[in-house]
Amino acid sequence: MRDRHLRAAIALVALAGAAAAAYLVYARYTHTQIACTTGGCETVQHSKYAKIAGVPVAVLGLAAYFAILATALSARVEAAALGAAIALGGLAFAIYLIVIQVAVIDAICQWCLASDAILAVLAVLTVERLRRLAGNPHESSGAARMATRG
Amino acid sequence: MIASTLEMVPSMSRFFHGRNLLYVGVGSAAAVIAVVLILVSVIGSSSAETTGSVPVTTTTGSGSSTPAAHPKAPGATATAALFRGIPQQLNQLGNPKAKVTMIEFADPQCPYCRQYELDTLPAIVREYVRTGKVKLIYFGIPIIGQNSEAGLRAVYAAGLQNRLWNFSHLLYRSQGAENSGWITDDLLRRIGDSIPGFDTARMMADRQSSDVENALAASAQQATNGRVDRTPTFFAGPTGGTLQQVPLTALTAAAFRPTLDALVK
Repeated sequence: MRDRHLRAAIALVALAGAAAAAYLVYARYTHTQIACTTGGCETVQHSKYAKIAGVPVAVLGLAAYFAILATALSARVEAAALGAAIALGGLAFAIYLIVIQVAVIDAICQWCLASDAILAVLAVLTVERLRRLAGNPHESSGAARMATRG
Repeated sequence: MIASTLEMVPSMSRFFHGRNLLYVGVGSAAAVIAVVLILVSVIGSSSAETTGSVPVTTTTGSGSSTPAAHPKAPGATATAALFRGIPQQLNQLGNPKAKVTMIEFADPQCPYCRQYELDTLPAIVREYVRTGKVKLIYFGIPIIGQNSEAGLRAVYAAGLQNRLWNFSHLLYRSQGAENSGWITDDLLRRIGDSIPGFDTARMMADRQSSDVENALAASAQQATNGRVDRTPTFFAGPTGGTLQQVPLTALTAAAFRPTLDALVK
């Protein structure tokens, strides 16, 4: 798979993640009841863990997906590295939130789980892209520059 | 050109060293992102337990005061265990598609409601709700006095976070004498802080919300429709069908079983 294919895949998956996060942001600010089969979405979204420093986690997720999308628009290895860092960091935080849902809040938010799954896919794709670019600098001028500097 | 330049680089190991450095940098950046987010979340969630609270102050001889942490409300662990894993939606407890619905009209100041809540509800939850046969619906009506409404507002505000049943149960566990003013803001905050993951500050603010006003009005209307003039009063029947008042001779689980067993058959 060439870099542009991986970038297209990352962009598409990031858009899917942004859509899920945007739905939760919309529901939060319009006080719309979240479509939920697990019965726990509202409970999780209204818990004290639903905000980080006053910012809803869904807003942070939306920002992260757009940031990853932006990195997919660039062919530079630095962009691939940034995308992988955001996806991996986000995935680690998502795992923490799953533990909180199960062990503390006692409720599962299916939209959050969907977002977590998307983040896991993004982590795989962004790391693979980084691995290819770093291993094959011909695909990226940025990678080539790094290699020649290295 | 670039490729030929690379071929001329004398040490390929330097290139691989650079790649490894890149991986380490990405891993470190990811770890920093995750650690910062988790730390802010942990600190924020623990401070949320205290920022919404009136600090309990201890005055020293010199006149200075220091805030003290809220102790947990009585029965916090048992209450969490009682409702753990059971779906809650506003004033509803249990499987939304349960075959049978039982409604309770209650007042947080009512001693018989407390008796039912502590002695009988756990058995009903274990036998009928946790098994998905029966769902419970709570309607709070302020029959005893003005302090009842203060409690009900908090109970319904907890319902907006789908924790009405935990909150109501903990409130009964701390019940004081009727109209003695025992339902204080401090007690409500302490109860909120005893529910895992609960946003106490939000509950305190939501007490005056239109959602809570509507819930109080709906409960009063339901009580009028059912000609309810005392608490606790129970109605049961097929979900979506007509509910009948549960004939009770005592507030024991045994007194509920004939009605519920007949309905869940």
